[in-house]
Amino acid sequence: MRTSSKTSGAAEKGVNLLMRKFCALVAALGATLALPACAPSTNSGGGKVHLTVMTWRPEDTAGYEKIFDAYEKNHPKVTVDYKPIKSTDYLTVLPNELKKSTGGPDVVQLKPYGPLQSYIKAGNLVPLDGQVNVSGWQDKVLQAAKGKDDGKLYGVPYALQTLGILYNKKIFTDQKIEPPKTWADFTAACEKLKKAGITPMATSGLQPWVLAIDHQIFGATRFGGNDFEQAVLTGKKDFTDPDYTASLQTVTDLKQYFPDQVAAVDYPDAQTLFTSGKAAMYPGGSYEIGPFTKTSPDLQIGWFDAPPAPGAKVNQPLTSGYVDGSFGINAHSEHKTEATELVKWMATPEFGQLYASTLKQISTVPGTTPGDPLLTQAYQGYQQHGATYMMVVDFGYGNPLGRDQEGQALQKMLGGTSAADAGKLVQKGISAWFKPSGG
Amino acid sequence: MVQAQRRLRRPVGTGGGRPRRRVLLTFLLPALALYTVFIIYPLVSAAEYSLYSWSGNRQDGFTGLSDFHQLFTKYPLSEQVWRALGHNCLFFIGTMLIQTTLGLAFAVLLHKSRRGKRFLQTAYTLPHLVSPIVVGYLWSIMLNPQFGAINAALRDVGLGALAQPWRGDPHLALPVAIVVNAWQWVGFPMLLFGAALAGIPDEYEQAARVDGASSWQVFRRVTLPLLTPVLGIVTVLTFIGTFNVLDLVFALQGSQGNPGFATDTLGLLFYRTAFQNPDPNAIGQSCALAVCMFVLIFGVSLAANKIFRRMEDRLT
Repeated sequence: MRTSSKTSGAAEKGVNLLMRKFCALVAALGATLALPACAPSTNSGGGKVHLTVMTWRPEDTAGYEKIFDAYEKNHPKVTVDYKPIKSTDYLTVLPNELKKSTGGPDVVQLKPYGPLQSYIKAGNLVPLDGQVNVSGWQDKVLQAAKGKDDGKLYGVPYALQTLGILYNKKIFTDQKIEPPKTWADFTAACEKLKKAGITPMATSGLQPWVLAIDHQIFGATRFGGNDFEQAVLTGKKDFTDPDYTASLQTVTDLKQYFPDQVAAVDYPDAQTLFTSGKAAMYPGGSYEIGPFTKTSPDLQIGWFDAPPAPGAKVNQPLTSGYVDGSFGINAHSEHKTEATELVKWMATPEFGQLYASTLKQISTVPGTTPGDPLLTQAYQGYQQHGATYMMVVDFGYGNPLGRDQEGQALQKMLGGTSAADAGKLVQKGISAWFKPSGG
Repeated sequence: MVQAQRRLRRPVGTGGGRPRRRVLLTFLLPALALYTVFIIYPLVSAAEYSLYSWSGNRQDGFTGLSDFHQLFTKYPLSEQVWRALGHNCLFFIGTMLIQTTLGLAFAVLLHKSRRGKRFLQTAYTLPHLVSPIVVGYLWSIMLNPQFGAINAALRDVGLGALAQPWRGDPHLALPVAIVVNAWQWVGFPMLLFGAALAGIPDEYEQAARVDGASSWQVFRRVTLPLLTPVLGIVTVLTFIGTFNVLDLVFALQGSQGNPGFATDTLGLLFYRTAFQNPDPNAIGQSCALAVCMFVLIFGVSLAANKIFRRMEDRLT
């Protein structure tokens, strides 16, 4: 009996010891996991301030590091840490990062126009009025980073995107086609390509946002460009207007020149069709030029604006544009002074030029030139006969986004819905949150 | 009480006795802590968030059921919620018809087969091992109208007329998603039914045969009723799975449930409302939707469980 109690006592001791070890292990593990969470991502070590810049562009890491190297040279007390998040995860990560009272990023890349407003309303961003010099900037550009309600500036816009038609120069030369100046030339070129067994245009009917971009490219002249935009903003017209619905029809009438079963063609498929030389044209944006040149270095790309569509209200081609985004300061940043200095620099021609040439983009900083001849052509088009991509710039401030609603309407048209009904659908969506200014 | 104390005093490790409460707790606590942090806390906080108004990530005032009211009255949510719910119901019905029926058929056939049983069981369950996101992207490539294997194969065998814009036709997109989902998960009901079939004594079938029952009659009158408990489990799990479906549809048709919301589901709608919604009250609205989904899925699962229990009781 004694022996058994001794044995059980020893066993108990053993188990207790095991338990203690186990608990210690759990505690140690917990501490290891918790420690990094407590450590701020921006720390001051050796007198240097570490600024974290969070973006949705992992593919631009090398470029941004080069740009920030130039900044660090003139600001020896500052180190800029580039922290990219996968673009598909960015919007789920950003709100939490901005909520952290310490250890969050200092400077963040921000979506333009409507999607920026929630962060402003939540007080996540620092107003930059009077802090950065944007005196020579166009109001249209600054609008991308302004609060809709308070009109304050919360970011420094960095890139302008323009919309137009990219074409494969080799195919055009082989088929003896010139970039068309009139709609008749354009459709004749499409017919010629089709007869030669080449898909005239690659686009995605599966992604609503791609269809909305197609509409802005081919339909802007038909609905009347910025005049129509202003008429809707002031309540004189809406999206059931015959000119607008006819512009939707302009896009779906081109279906015969799109890839077979375009409704099921996805965005990457459309890109591949163009870069692999299976399609001769690609209605898209300046943002495609960089990636296309990277994936297919031998591809000779040209650029032209869509000619005025039949019945056009504007009798010259229009190059539509919008701001891609901006850089703002986290209200919880522990280095606001240094962060302000950095975004101040982002509004200077030095940054603008470096950004344009390193990342092959059109910088929003006045006086800079794009770092690519095609982009220069696109940018010149925008400066000479630009139009606002209204579905993003003006009608992207509520749910549903104008761009998405228009894309959905076009998808329905590809499935057989009439243009008039599609117009009603766009109007129904946008009027759910948009109230015209009257006048 | 005394008995309980005695039980507690029992030494550990002597076999048969219950371990001490402290030991029990020590082993249970880590799991409980994880469960609390990852399951209970998000559930409770989502319920709490849905009762407040939000400006971006800043919690404003308590607004009671206003977020729920917005969900069912504010366009486009008011339209999208019902449409997505309808699609989830179709997804469930379609999955039951295709996946469960095929799963049962495979299980019965494999139960009777002598050759290749293991190989086929493994083959049918293999797609389980792949993430639904990967399955979605894989099938989106195969269904591609330009480069895809499906249409190319149809054209090669002279069935070009059947080549369809599988993902782009609003009438086909949802059925296609259901079939792809069934392709991935058909092995699951097959395994469950297979295990249940193995548990049915052969004598039942032999007895029915002696009474002159045909193969179909044996299956319909003897085997199928005995599978009711498993059928119940499969139905409830299919319901939970299809009402939570997100990743596969996302990979196949994007966050908007293309084309034209034809494949929109409650999961996708939640994702869009939470992360792609310019409304400042996105958190409130999405949490209200999450609470509704939880109540619906939990409630229906409990009810279905009860119904199947009753059916089982009637059998015994």
